[in-house]
Amino acid sequence: MSFLSYLINGISLGSVYAIIALGYTMVYGIAKMLNFAHGDVIMVGGYVALTMMLNLNVNPFIAILVAIVVCTVLGICIETIAYRPLLGAASPLAVLITAIGVSYFLQNAVLLIFGSNPKSFQSVVTFGNLNLAGGALVVSDEAVVTILTCVVIMVALTLFINKTKAGQAMQAVSEDKGAARLMGINVNGTIALTFAIGSGLAAVAGILLLSSYPSLTPYTGSMPGIKAFVAAVFGGIGSIPGALIGGILLGVIEILGRAYISSQLADAIVFAVLIVVLLVKPTGLLGKTVQEKV
Amino acid sequence: MRHMKNLNKTTKDNLITYGMVIAAYIIVEILLKAGVISSLLQGLLVPLCVYVVLAISLNLVVGISGELSLGHAGFMCVGAFAGAFFSNSVKDVITAGEVRIFLALLVGAAAAAVFGLLIGIPVLRLRGDYLAIVTLAFGEIIKNVVNVFYVGIDGSGLHISMKDKASMGLAADGNVIINGPQGITGTPKDSTFTIGILLILVTLFVVLNLINSRDGRAIKSIRDNRIAAESVGLNITKYKLMAFAVSASLAGAAGVLYAHNLASLQASKFSFNTSILVLVFVVLGGIGNIRGSIIAAVVLTLLPELLRALNDYRMLIYAVVLIAMMLFTSSPAGMAFRERFSLKRLRERTNEKEEAQ
Amino acid sequence: MALLEVKNLGISFGGLRAVDDFNLEIRKGQLYGLIGPNGAGKTTVFNMLTGVYKPTDGKIVLDGMDITGKSNIEINKSGIARTFQNIRLFSGLSVLDNVKVGLHNQKEYTYSALTGILRLPGYFRAEKEMDARALEILKVFELDAEADCLASNLPYGKQRKLEIARALATNPKLLLLDEPAAGMNPNETQELMDTISFVRDEFHMTILLIEHDMKLVAGICEKLTVLNFGQVLAYGDTSEVLKNPEVITAYLGE
Repeated sequence: MSFLSYLINGISLGSVYAIIALGYTMVYGIAKMLNFAHGDVIMVGGYVALTMMLNLNVNPFIAILVAIVVCTVLGICIETIAYRPLLGAASPLAVLITAIGVSYFLQNAVLLIFGSNPKSFQSVVTFGNLNLAGGALVVSDEAVVTILTCVVIMVALTLFINKTKAGQAMQAVSEDKGAARLMGINVNGTIALTFAIGSGLAAVAGILLLSSYPSLTPYTGSMPGIKAFVAAVFGGIGSIPGALIGGILLGVIEILGRAYISSQLADAIVFAVLIVVLLVKPTGLLGKTVQEKV
Repeated sequence: MRHMKNLNKTTKDNLITYGMVIAAYIIVEILLKAGVISSLLQGLLVPLCVYVVLAISLNLVVGISGELSLGHAGFMCVGAFAGAFFSNSVKDVITAGEVRIFLALLVGAAAAAVFGLLIGIPVLRLRGDYLAIVTLAFGEIIKNVVNVFYVGIDGSGLHISMKDKASMGLAADGNVIINGPQGITGTPKDSTFTIGILLILVTLFVVLNLINSRDGRAIKSIRDNRIAAESVGLNITKYKLMAFAVSASLAGAAGVLYAHNLASLQASKFSFNTSILVLVFVVLGGIGNIRGSIIAAVVLTLLPELLRALNDYRMLIYAVVLIAMMLFTSSPAGMAFRERFSLKRLRERTNEKEEAQ
Repeated sequence: MALLEVKNLGISFGGLRAVDDFNLEIRKGQLYGLIGPNGAGKTTVFNMLTGVYKPTDGKIVLDGMDITGKSNIEINKSGIARTFQNIRLFSGLSVLDNVKVGLHNQKEYTYSALTGILRLPGYFRAEKEMDARALEILKVFELDAEADCLASNLPYGKQRKLEIARALATNPKLLLLDEPAAGMNPNETQELMDTISFVRDEFHMTILLIEHDMKLVAGICEKLTVLNFGQVLAYGDTSEVLKNPEVITAYLGE
């Protein structure tokens, strides 16, 4: 039974990674930018929600909404400051560095406001653990909510991208910006929308992550951020189902690795599996192989 | 002949770079003698050299070979631990610090080169961002594995464990050298500013000469157009691997210098953030521009110290400066602005006016 | 004896038969044209000849040596060099260095990485000789004055010439030119025709070229093969092939 419980925890953690990875993958797909500030958006979302709940005594549901709004705005700001001015820059790495600059900025701004001491996050899910199989298997309520949220987001996002005009505009812009512009699509607006959605999702992911793992510091976002990035690559960057599969696999491997092999080497195992996957399938599990035409 | 002029231009350019480093050394030495450098700044001299070497070596991969590497700290880690392990093992036998660190530098560079080759062979089959993420992964794996490494020595020889100190089965008189997350303590502090500068000069010598040789041309041509490079018969893997391994070994040497400047060395110091920091130097200094890497490494390492008066705000301002510098140097708007107001352009404009009159 | 002999060459991409039963025989010193409508499979043939694609079936023999299925690197070393339809220069290198990369694999210019890093005498000797040889090749294409320019700063026509110069520097037995006159104006094309003929005579080169410019084809190619829908429609002496009614139909439609 302990294996099953580890597995469920893994899927739950993986669901968080998947939601963060979605933001990465969407932004990468459309802007070809590795947004290193994405992980820090998670952390900001966590602080906003915590402040709302703890200091302003707001209902958790409203706190989540406020966090989503703040992060969405933050996402748009990142796009305007760090990404848009560098469209057409000589090197694609320039935008990577501004993203890193934004990441440093967010970490240090939060550090100034809230200090470096870890804050204890208060779970937003409070209906109690589920006891299955006559109490032999206990599933935390956070895990249930996290997994369900992930499923809902995946379905909603897939529908959004395939069925709405804005979603199809995103696909068009990620395929070819120039052609999309000629077809009358508002390219800058579409890119900003992508950043906004990705960052809003990051807020959700942050709150879910912190509900299960409640320690919050200004650097909390960076490791989940990197792992979600790994998850996105794992599944094939740019692919939404890829982000889901990559995220869940990563979470499961991490939790099982920690339980059965070594808690100190869990991260190393995650990265090692990523390397093996990429060596076998160089563009990730669901990634498209693009062959250069000669 | 025109191309001779070109050759001279490259040579002249390189000489300026060497000259800049030597001049900086002389100035700092004079200021040190005069006693006007604060002890805080003195403490930064060796780290400055470490970062300069790291930046130059990373530029070889990112700028010259054209592959984004996010795991440079991993090679630094290998070099640091190999070098520190060596010095700790021989510190009773070799007592001259200069000799010891010279040998340690060779050991660290060699160990990192081996890792560069081992990692490079699988990694370099990948392209672009996939390659970047795998280098990141390797960097983290190295850090994590070194973090659980226990090595001790006693009468019966070396003992290695990846579990804990006790499981090494060390005799009572044994000596723990690498102690898991606590790392290595008691490494002799053999690093000096002079040795750091010498390492920078050697790094420059290796990198600049490699770039301007037959193999360097091959590396650059693969960066510019892989398919065309294959069509003229270049062995892609060989040259990518060459750049990667040389870069790794120099990063390893930087790690040795770093390790011999610290009383205790932990693997956690070589995190992903260190790799990113060095990448920032390279990009800000200009991709492929070696001299730019040096300047960016020095400026950005000193910047937080110069901002120290601002206390808590210094890292925030550092972040803002970083974004602003990047926008100024790389965004099309920033470039247009510089074009319009650059000295050269102003001079041209005055000339035009004069001609018009 | 033929320098290049291609027998029953074919390739399929998934279910698509891109080239089928392609035969070709080029004698040493010949200037041979491969023509056909867009999408006929000409560049695919080039890609098979140079090892970019592995043929599904058939055989390629260069100067008596079977090179079928070898990698593009090995094929260049065995003596085929090429240019590309969409120019592929080393844009960050100087014009001179582009040609020097072409000289890379020739024994007389080889030195080890260590010789280069330590600046041993071998480095200076080899570099000097390479410079001289590269300039000699550039002179043929009247590019020697631009030797120090960045390749990407050259005007279009000169970039095409530089690509040919780089290919020649690898000292090939057979030179493949993929639409060398594409995007050139009539004057530049005329000049290019002269250069190609000159290269053939001066370097005793065998040349196979893909071209749409019929004036160029008729002007310099001795023999032609016409491809249509991946199959050989006609081959033989240029003047005869161009009179062939099937060829005219393929090009102009009915």
